[in-house]
Amino acid sequence: MKKYLAVINMQFINNIAYPGDFLGRSVSIAVFLFIFAGLWKTTFLVTGTDTLNGLTFANLLWYLMMAETIELGRPRINRVISEQVKNGEVAYILSKPYNFILYHFSFGLGDSLLRIIMNIIVGVLITWLLAGPPPSPLGWVMALTAMIGAWLLHFCMMALIGLAAFLVEETNSFELVYQKMVFVLGGMMLPLDLFPEWLQRITRMLPFPYMMYAPARLFVKPDLSLFGQMLAGQWIWVAVLVFAVALAYRGSEKVLTVNGG
Amino acid sequence: MKNLKFLLALWRANLQAAMEFRSAFLTQIVFMVINNGAYFMFWYLYFDKFKEVRGWTLHDMMLLYGIAATAWGMAAYFFGHFTTLGEVIAQGRLDYYLSLPKPVLLHVLASKSIGSGMGDILYGVASYLLSGYLTGDGFLRYLLSVLAGVCIFISFLTIIQSLSFWLGNTVALSQIALSAMLTFSLYPSVLFDTTTKFILLTIIPAALVGTVPAEFVRSFSWQSLLQVTAASAIFLVLAVTVFHSGLRRYESGSAIQVEV
Repeated sequence: MKKYLAVINMQFINNIAYPGDFLGRSVSIAVFLFIFAGLWKTTFLVTGTDTLNGLTFANLLWYLMMAETIELGRPRINRVISEQVKNGEVAYILSKPYNFILYHFSFGLGDSLLRIIMNIIVGVLITWLLAGPPPSPLGWVMALTAMIGAWLLHFCMMALIGLAAFLVEETNSFELVYQKMVFVLGGMMLPLDLFPEWLQRITRMLPFPYMMYAPARLFVKPDLSLFGQMLAGQWIWVAVLVFAVALAYRGSEKVLTVNGG
Repeated sequence: MKNLKFLLALWRANLQAAMEFRSAFLTQIVFMVINNGAYFMFWYLYFDKFKEVRGWTLHDMMLLYGIAATAWGMAAYFFGHFTTLGEVIAQGRLDYYLSLPKPVLLHVLASKSIGSGMGDILYGVASYLLSGYLTGDGFLRYLLSVLAGVCIFISFLTIIQSLSFWLGNTVALSQIALSAMLTFSLYPSVLFDTTTKFILLTIIPAALVGTVPAEFVRSFSWQSLLQVTAASAIFLVLAVTVFHSGLRRYESGSAIQVEV
């Protein structure tokens, strides 16, 4: 356990060492919120309404703040695994006395922590200026709890994409498409409440809404029964994807070929 | 003419290099088309609910994506170093280009090709064809808009990254500029207030590769024609001037590097 905590700590410190870099990344959330504030302000104005499917302008913007925080804070371990497979570093890591997946889990967690904190700080400041005060403390509690499951789901998907490098080497394209699926079907850019009925039914059967919609929706409209439903759905998907990662990892070990030393 | 021959030779060499990894190249193209299509689903869902916002419909968004994606794709595929010029400068990798009797900026920019750019080009053209704005003169306006967009994308990022001559590493700054430019270019400026619109026409010229050319293709006006052509010319001149004044300050170590 100590060694994994050390990896988390190491990665956290690594991020602090390049403040310009992570501050730069936090600018992205400002750009995103600014654009979406314009889009939704205009939409509310044009439609002449105060609520859209129960969501006010402030609800929508705080929802988007939480969703973007999750997106920018999700682990990027697929790129690290892919790079390690391509340059052969994977052989060095596999020979170490730690579990390859748990190592990347700790690495990803250490990497995400600071980014999530920074994005929440920048996001709250901008959204408060654009849409007024944040939702109730209960919303924060439910959202932060749901963020744990959301992060785990992202981790599993990123690990699966990263492990695909054992077979195809180049995995950036998979990540791009996965990211867009989360953007749209996960409800990052548009909450599921605004989807047509038929699409809502389909997306609720997929893991994507539990990665994004669940925490963001609970943040702005905390509701105990929805909280239970979302958490149950999230953890069923976590179990399925953890099993898939374990299988994929065992398969990857078998196909690994290391040349030279 | 001599420069055009040189460019064609570079592009041929880039294509041959990409063909060495044919399946990876084709995968990048296919996935970029899927990626853009998936991203556009947002607008499909949005306009399914709201139909029209300040005169913009789903078809207008397809046109805007058509222009912006084709322009971005052409810049990425034919002048791939336009997103990494700052790194080339900061790492002293300009030595290689300076030692050859060719225009330095043109040579650096065109010596790399981003394969996924071809996917953007294909998506952009398809999006334009499906937008409903395909007419004889509309197509000419689309082509002009795309060329202007290529100029503005490359020039803007060249200006930002040329700051590396003075500031050293500008990777973080370039990434912010690139992200802001690309993100804002995919939204119509009717959504924003006057101050933001002014910013999007000057400091971050995203409206000049998105909204303005899209309006120019929708219906011809001398004002949009002037905006599109004059802006691209001004940005191009600025980029070349800033790069060359920075080049006078360029210094590097004597590391041996190979540019491939």
